[in-house]
Amino acid sequence: MKNAEKEWEPKILAFLCNWCSYAGADLAGISRIQYPPNIRVVRVPCSGRVNPYYIIKALQRGWDGVLVSGCHPGDCHYISGNLVARRRFAVLKDLLEYVGIEHGRVNFSWVSAAEGEKFAKVVTDVVKEVKALGPAKRLVKR
Amino acid sequence: MKWKVIEKSKMPVLIGELAKEYEVFVPVKEKNMVSFEKFSSGNEAYLDFRNTKKPPKEVFFPQTETLFTHRIGRKDIEVVESPAVREKRVVLGVRPCDARSFVLLDKFFSSGEHKDVYYLGKRKNTTIVGLACNHPLSTCFCTSLGGSPFGKEGMDLLLQDINDRYLIETVTERGKELVKKFPWLKDAEKANIEKAKKLSEDAENAVKSKVSVKDVSEKLDRMFDDPLWDQIYQKCLGCGVCTFLCPTCCCFDILDEEGNGGKRVRIWDSCQFSCFTLQGSGHNPRPSGKERMRQRIMHKFNHFVKNYGESFCVGCGRCVQECPVNLDIREIVGAISTRPRK
Amino acid sequence: MENIENSIREVTKKLLSEKKVDMIIGYEQGTLPLRTTPCFVDKAEDVQKLVWNASCDANLSKHVVGRKEKVGVVTKGCDARLIAVCAIEKQFPRENVVIIGVPCLGVIDRKKIEAKLENKEVLEATVEDEQIKVKGEGFELVLPKNEFLCDSCLTCKHRNPPIYDMFVGEKAPEITEANEFVEVSSLEVKSAEERWEHFKKELSKCIRCYACRNSCPLCYCKMCFVDQTMPAWFGKTNDLSDTMIYHIVRAFHVAGRCVDCGACSRACPMDINLRELTKKIEKIMKERYGYEAGVSLEEIPPLGEFKMEDPQEFIK
Repeated sequence: MKNAEKEWEPKILAFLCNWCSYAGADLAGISRIQYPPNIRVVRVPCSGRVNPYYIIKALQRGWDGVLVSGCHPGDCHYISGNLVARRRFAVLKDLLEYVGIEHGRVNFSWVSAAEGEKFAKVVTDVVKEVKALGPAKRLVKR
Repeated sequence: MKWKVIEKSKMPVLIGELAKEYEVFVPVKEKNMVSFEKFSSGNEAYLDFRNTKKPPKEVFFPQTETLFTHRIGRKDIEVVESPAVREKRVVLGVRPCDARSFVLLDKFFSSGEHKDVYYLGKRKNTTIVGLACNHPLSTCFCTSLGGSPFGKEGMDLLLQDINDRYLIETVTERGKELVKKFPWLKDAEKANIEKAKKLSEDAENAVKSKVSVKDVSEKLDRMFDDPLWDQIYQKCLGCGVCTFLCPTCCCFDILDEEGNGGKRVRIWDSCQFSCFTLQGSGHNPRPSGKERMRQRIMHKFNHFVKNYGESFCVGCGRCVQECPVNLDIREIVGAISTRPRK
Repeated sequence: MENIENSIREVTKKLLSEKKVDMIIGYEQGTLPLRTTPCFVDKAEDVQKLVWNASCDANLSKHVVGRKEKVGVVTKGCDARLIAVCAIEKQFPRENVVIIGVPCLGVIDRKKIEAKLENKEVLEATVEDEQIKVKGEGFELVLPKNEFLCDSCLTCKHRNPPIYDMFVGEKAPEITEANEFVEVSSLEVKSAEERWEHFKKELSKCIRCYACRNSCPLCYCKMCFVDQTMPAWFGKTNDLSDTMIYHIVRAFHVAGRCVDCGACSRACPMDINLRELTKKIEKIMKERYGYEAGVSLEEIPPLGEFKMEDPQEFIK
């Protein structure tokens, strides 16, 4: 039975650091852990590689949510990339939410290569939050 | 009849009636800022202003304008021209300096083989109703540049504030046609016309700021390497305030943007921006504020004079008031004009 | 005030004639009432042009970046902090700048006066003690100065430059009571929807003239992100999304460096209250990292370093 109108599903852009979070996502897949299929993954060498412009551009392009995930502090393959990123993301998130981007659109997590379960949980939580917020409208360029 | 009169209290009625047939742009006050906006019941006209912050050039030459869009299909690319502005428009409340700027902009946009259809198309459909200046500002110097507070250049009708009413002077045929649509307008009495004439003389005398441009173009011909340029540019920040608020400045940049295929847009550009003359090779023939400031002065008071016969400035004074560092173009032109002839 | 003006002229004359600096950057009388304009003096006898009063609002530290010669700068508290930030960021050798510190009790906000006078134009103005006397066609008013100062000055915690090479005049008493984040806090308690509508409305006035960027001493990038092509990150039209992003990103770029001098808001011809963004950035840096920009030449700006114990409550 086909529904004439499919229920809206959010699209989440996920930047995953190669060494930890991407491997963690891979582990989730290998372990056959089910999690919502709403994310589209971009593999980056390190969470510190993620330029704030990418996050803002994603919102402008209409992505309903953004997730950036990296190694736990102290475990970064490049020693301190995630620590640099942490401050950057904190300021960006505070600023975006202050301007009025809904809390929950832009998300950050630390997921290690062994945390397949955690990755699935993070994605599930993010998709749930973004779904409740509805399609992204603010900052979207028509 | 060339002269009609309307009570100030009836102006909203006139504008409302105009709005039924035309797209009407009027000065609208929001907080402390007066700008030209499209008239609507929430956007009433405010006519007690000195001058608007932004000049009315944006009615014909908006900050952002889509030139065409394109769609990439399976086998071809479809280019869709931007729809021409077909609506008849009226811009009401234009000061004489700004109306005069349209005359200068017309020269620029219609020169040469390729006429600017976007600007000219809008100009063709638009009636200009001017509003004379009873109280010029101390920064106004329109009289030095061929204008005057009760000047009629560039307008179809001129409203003149004679206390509790406006005198309406018909300037062109188009203005005459517009007035015909309002048969309830009363004919002006001799006393009204004489009062307006007196106010016009007072206003012209009230323009105290004088800038001599008589020999400036000629002197600038010999001043390309003059040490003056080393001095004046230093405080300039290189922002676009003077150019964007100038009624005659019309440089633009053309960009391609994505969006359901793509579109080509043009936006206001400023010769004061550092990237204005940055070339694809990486070379910039105007690398510092000095070259850019020199170019601005020369364009306005030398190049345009040579190309079109008059300075590219109407003396509205906006650049003087709004420059964040109080760089005063009157001082610069004054310094040039007092140079000895040799 | 007059004493300070004379002292500035003495000090700068000495610096120039002793060749300790090649140029003095200060303020001279503007062409309009209540305005001054930046002044570049390289001859000792020209120091007579220099003035000091409550209209000295331009941010002179802007004119220091990029200069190769040694300069002496007449510096207010906010200007000194910005010179410090630019020196930390290696925009010029610290030794090339002689900071002539001056106590500042606040600069006058012309926009507030214009709003008060509506359509009347100020033709003459004098500032005496705590009063601004304005005169124009058919009117004369006395305005209490403290009601017409720039908002950033009302809560300024550095009326005396925290860093200087010489100090002219007597130290001004510092404000200790005022809550500098009161406007930001009042926005923070609103809902995200309300804030969005508010910023949308404010920023829709923007005409992309970049007066804010160009008046900011911290915006010294040779190629600003808005002008970048390959890739062109964000558009340059007045599209609302692009415009809002320009302001958001500019605020992000001055994070940990902005001192709330107010130059951006003053320069904006469309009267956009840019301080609502920059002040929030300042608050974030203070609350998260305990940092105040430009008060010490030793500290590294927060986005240039990190600590293991940085707050991460927002990370899942």
